[in-house]
Amino acid sequence: MVAIAAEGHNVHLEFRPKLAEDWKNAISAGVNLEAGNYQYLTKRVFDSMNASQLESKIWLVETLEKFDVQPKRVALLAGWFAQYIVPLMFDTFPKCEWIENFEIDNDVAPISYKFNKRYKDENRYKINMRNVMIKPLKFVQNPNTPIPKDDIYDVVINCACEHMYPMWKFRELNNAVQKNPLLVLQSSNDDQHEDHINCVESEDELIDQARIKHVIYSGSKILSNKSTRFMVIGR
Amino acid sequence: MDNTILCVKWGDKYGREYVEKLKQQCEDNCSVPFNFYCLTDKKEKDYDILLPSSWDKYEGLHSRFRNKQAPSNMWAYRKLYMFQLDYYTSTGGWNESERDFKTIQGNNFLYLDLDVIIHQDLKYFFDLDMKQSWTAETKVTAVHGKPWIVRGWWNDMNLCRKNYAAMGSTPINSSVIRWNRGQLIEIYKHIAKNLDVLFFTYPTIDNYLNHFWYNMWYEDSGRTDESFFNVFPKGDIYSYYTGNIFPSDMEQKKLRPDHKICLFNNSADTNDVEELKSLW
Repeated sequence: MVAIAAEGHNVHLEFRPKLAEDWKNAISAGVNLEAGNYQYLTKRVFDSMNASQLESKIWLVETLEKFDVQPKRVALLAGWFAQYIVPLMFDTFPKCEWIENFEIDNDVAPISYKFNKRYKDENRYKINMRNVMIKPLKFVQNPNTPIPKDDIYDVVINCACEHMYPMWKFRELNNAVQKNPLLVLQSSNDDQHEDHINCVESEDELIDQARIKHVIYSGSKILSNKSTRFMVIGR
Repeated sequence: MDNTILCVKWGDKYGREYVEKLKQQCEDNCSVPFNFYCLTDKKEKDYDILLPSSWDKYEGLHSRFRNKQAPSNMWAYRKLYMFQLDYYTSTGGWNESERDFKTIQGNNFLYLDLDVIIHQDLKYFFDLDMKQSWTAETKVTAVHGKPWIVRGWWNDMNLCRKNYAAMGSTPINSSVIRWNRGQLIEIYKHIAKNLDVLFFTYPTIDNYLNHFWYNMWYEDSGRTDESFFNVFPKGDIYSYYTGNIFPSDMEQKKLRPDHKICLFNNSADTNDVEELKSLW
């Protein structure tokens, strides 16, 4: 195993043969799908793998570990290809059972499944095409699991708050169908991108947007791309 | 008369002459009888219908317009009010300020943007098959059938897919919509239920429609029947400023009289109003 970690961090992305195989296939798929007019995917895949992406995910997982959070069933909102966060979570938290990535972009699914094939094959990773600001996460209990339908996710991760409506709406939508999952939220002050429709200027603003009453952690970090990323963990 | 042509005039971007010109174009290019209405904020003519203003509080909610001098997207969004036509049918209307809508006659609707040039007989649109059902995934009964909307064939689908999550380029264009009374109820209800999220998130009505009521990924798999909308086929409607069909017929600023309608969307500057006038 080759451990990949940012300087000063304790969590690692374990670069094992299975990860190498999955990533090779995912990146190849992004390139090879060109015949089907998917050329743009290659660039998007590389964009999703830059230093800032890894820094922010390592920061998230390391902070969860520091505060002794032990996620079991994770709802990952707008997780994109999720090639960093998913293995980081499974490698760091042995009790993590599954991660479900809620996305709106249909082109994400095939590539993300390739990046995370080893987890998909074990039924530990799934992509769900759903706009989480319009529909609640779950309506129907999974008959294959004894977990109550209102307690399916104990942790909700959203590393893309700047891309969507404030998180209070998500909480309101899911109030009836989810108990009180731990929220792990990241956002940015980088308003140079048109799709950053909800940037914040501080971690406090992110707390306010999500109407978090019990804050476990809040902080900020300047990333390689010079933008400031904010993170809040709480309920 | 069952056939009704609608347009929307809100604010000052387009003068009254645009409504009159559109009406004249319809009269010159429609071989079947039709009603004509202009949905507007300022009633001046007999054919004017007052638009509601209940959504005005959401104006400028999207980040593209917050704290900026850019014009708001509401002027375009207001055309969605006309989907209330269906709602009134089933509920009898909401309040007095919206009572004008009840006077709109007809069951077969054709909406046209003000900035269009009509080349051919609009009867074509009223003769379209409206009974195709759309049932499997979207739970609308076959009775309602499917409405029609513009698929911008001039769009590079690579861009549309790339910009999908970013609410950028969209292959759906709402400059021309054809529906029968009752077919757009689901859209209106969806908007009314999610006003804050939708106006915050989607910079244009076309982005919204593309995200919830059309599935461009079905085009590759031949599953277009599973989208809410039918789309007008290639050769019907083109864009003066963008082109006709990507990538084979993309000459800009070219009139194509063998097509039905020319749109003036995506003008790069603000002179489109005057340029269109010069082509009347």
